[in-house]
Amino acid sequence: AAAEPRPRLSPQRLRAAVHYAVCGLCQEVAEDKAVQFSKQSLAAIAELTFRQCETFARDLEMFARHAKRSTITTEDVKLLARRSNSLLKYITQKSEELASSNMEQKEKKKKSSASKGGRMHREEEAAVTESEDSNMA
Amino acid sequence: MHCAARAAPELPAPACAAAPPPLQAPPPPCPASRRAPRAKSLEGLRPLTAMAASGTRLVRAARENVPKSGNKKNSGRSAFLKQKAAVFPEHDNDTPRVMLRRIILTQPQVSPVAPQLYKDEETEAAQSELPSKRVSSVLDMQLPDLVPEDTSVATFRMTKKRKKLSISEFERAVDKRLPQNQDRSMLDSTALARSLRMSLGSLIPPDTVEKRGLRRRPKIRKAIDMKAFEGGVEQNMLKRKAQSCLVDSQTASEIQAPSLTSDAEIVLSNTELFIHPQFDEQNQNKLSALEPQLSDSKTSAQRSKISDAAQEEARLVGLVSSVDTNEGRTQTHSEELILNHEHFGGMTHVSCKTPVKQQEAANRWSSSLPPRSPSKSLESPVTLKPKRSFSMSLREVVSRIIEDLDVSDTEEEMANTANKVEQIFREAAEHRANAGYSGHLEKQLTEKAELQITMAQDGKVKTETAALEEEGIAEGDVEHQGSPEAEQEIAKDVGAASLVRHSDAISSSEKNGVKPLEEAVEQADELEDQAIALELDGLEEEPTEDGAEDPESAEVSMRTPTFVRAAAYKPLLSTPHHVKPAAPKLSAPRPAKPVAPKSSLQPLQAKPVPKSSGTSRRKPREPEIASRLIKGIFRHYAKMPVARDAFKVVEKCSERYFKQLSNDLEAYTRHAGRRTVEMADLELLMRRQGLVTDKMPINVLIEDYFPMEYRKLLIPVAVCGNKVIPSK
Repeated sequence: AAAEPRPRLSPQRLRAAVHYAVCGLCQEVAEDKAVQFSKQSLAAIAELTFRQCETFARDLEMFARHAKRSTITTEDVKLLARRSNSLLKYITQKSEELASSNMEQKEKKKKSSASKGGRMHREEEAAVTESEDSNMA
Repeated sequence: MHCAARAAPELPAPACAAAPPPLQAPPPPCPASRRAPRAKSLEGLRPLTAMAASGTRLVRAARENVPKSGNKKNSGRSAFLKQKAAVFPEHDNDTPRVMLRRIILTQPQVSPVAPQLYKDEETEAAQSELPSKRVSSVLDMQLPDLVPEDTSVATFRMTKKRKKLSISEFERAVDKRLPQNQDRSMLDSTALARSLRMSLGSLIPPDTVEKRGLRRRPKIRKAIDMKAFEGGVEQNMLKRKAQSCLVDSQTASEIQAPSLTSDAEIVLSNTELFIHPQFDEQNQNKLSALEPQLSDSKTSAQRSKISDAAQEEARLVGLVSSVDTNEGRTQTHSEELILNHEHFGGMTHVSCKTPVKQQEAANRWSSSLPPRSPSKSLESPVTLKPKRSFSMSLREVVSRIIEDLDVSDTEEEMANTANKVEQIFREAAEHRANAGYSGHLEKQLTEKAELQITMAQDGKVKTETAALEEEGIAEGDVEHQGSPEAEQEIAKDVGAASLVRHSDAISSSEKNGVKPLEEAVEQADELEDQAIALELDGLEEEPTEDGAEDPESAEVSMRTPTFVRAAAYKPLLSTPHHVKPAAPKLSAPRPAKPVAPKSSLQPLQAKPVPKSSGTSRRKPREPEIASRLIKGIFRHYAKMPVARDAFKVVEKCSERYFKQLSNDLEAYTRHAGRRTVEMADLELLMRRQGLVTDKMPINVLIEDYFPMEYRKLLIPVAVCGNKVIPSK
């Protein structure tokens, strides 16, 4: 199931997905601030987001390689987000939560390793990765 | 010149510049031999004149007299010949030959400066004529010239045969004329002399130049300044006293005693360089420096008095300032100053203008503070500081200045503030000397953060007490490292912390002795110097401050030497001068030494010493990019004139940019788990900036933009002999 959507993730489809997500977010903001977004602005924001995501990805890869790693970690993300103080704070907070939850989960796993086995691990890992992804987004 | 001659009534026709005169020149000095040919040459002369294209009657008249042989020479002759010719008609009752002879004989001495255009015969005549012609009163010269001209004419006549000019002949003629001229005292005293003078550039100063208008400012002005200054200072002091009587009374009483004694000492004016003596002397010197600046004519006695008054004022100011610690307002500060001055004046019974002046200066100083631009948020602490210093002693003032400087440092990103604070500190020290400055300092202080007010207050109290104690000790002590250090620390620290430290330092300095004062003063000097330098750099950045300071500077400028004024409109610049005299005064109890020598010595001595200690101790200021560099680069790329404010903004932007850049670089380095920045970090930074891309590697950029020396360091270069630079 995870591999199937992959071929669909062509650039156009990705753009469309980003556009859809941006529209949804902007609608929420519009309702919140009682303002309206024109289509062109939504399209512009979506395109901007897409290009910025590309930049982020490239930078993250650079950071990881700079640290002589082949995996992008939260450290790279934090380095990326340090320009914006609020964002950095948020991400740091989230990462700490994740780290703590990971610790807890690890402890739980150790406790229940005998009983639960790998399933819990996978679920926890998935949850962890999902939370990380949310952070990155 | 010759035109004037030509303008002679006899010769209405304007002689042409060159031709006619030359024509005439040779004839007059023409020797007898010329006369014969002259008659013949008359006709020839006419064509010459025609050549000259000057149909002046003078020319014609001259033609008769001028030998035709001198045609060529005539062309180059000056118009003075015409002059002679002009004269000729008047006396022309003889033949041309006679006239010429007369001219030659009576012609005035040839001026050695006469242009060498004239050939020998011409020159002889021309020389006499030239100098005379140069003189405005050519007409007057004509008559006397006639006489010598005759003689010269005679000589010319002698050599008339030779149409060509020969240098030897010329020289001979000159020799002839020179003795003739020498004999003619009359000529010398008359137009010739005048012409000579004028030709020589009027080496002798004309009568008009001998006026006394070149004298510098009249004394009267200085007296007025002092009065106004003192009055202002008194006013400030009154204000301050009104605000805080208790504190003032306490401090005043404490200070008064030492101040009184110090006054006496000040009068003695010791010339020691060290803290206490320096302070006293510095104050004295500063005051005296101010005084001289204000009035050159002031006598040393006055200066001593002034120094005393300044010290008194400074003390008063300090007292006032200490009182105002709580308020920390410029006004209060100024008032304190006034009060101090007044109080001091009352104590010292200095009736001379100097104290008043100082008070006024103090007033101005305090008053100037308020107008100071609020660029510096330090307000209360600043004002408090200077007040304290005044009340406590020179040291306090200096420390206060340092504190202020520190405060300002914190407030402002620019290092200037630090310097300014220091300067302020120094100014505070000098406050007595420069009432105006004190006001300025106060302003600066007040402008600084209010946060420090409370801190300052606390610190002030401590410092005040410490200062007071120190004062007592300072007098006796020679070297106190504590206070200067403390002061330095204060300067470094920003805000209350510095104040506290200062107070601590002061207290410690008390133990050490008077030295701190010295050092404080030195620091102040250093700070001032640094501040001045910084200020100079930051001048652009703080136009408002400058404007605010302008009135102060105006006031102070009156006292400061012109060059200081010219150096910078910022009053801070002048503070060093003022600080130095103020510093010694603050120390007060020092044995008084002649102020004059001290002032001259102290500034020189104080400056180098404080700089070394101050710079090392002072809070390490972030190194700034030379504003000159930024300006130059920006101007080059802007390709159009740039306003000063724009430069300031550009400087700020560039500073922020580079700060951010360095922060990023540090983050990248830390991200890689390293502690040393390396090429990889920089490449990452440039990649983020977009300078380095997949298409544009960093090496290409290095090759494009770096000079060979740097490029060699970064990119290995292979040279013959299997060598690679840099060697691996």
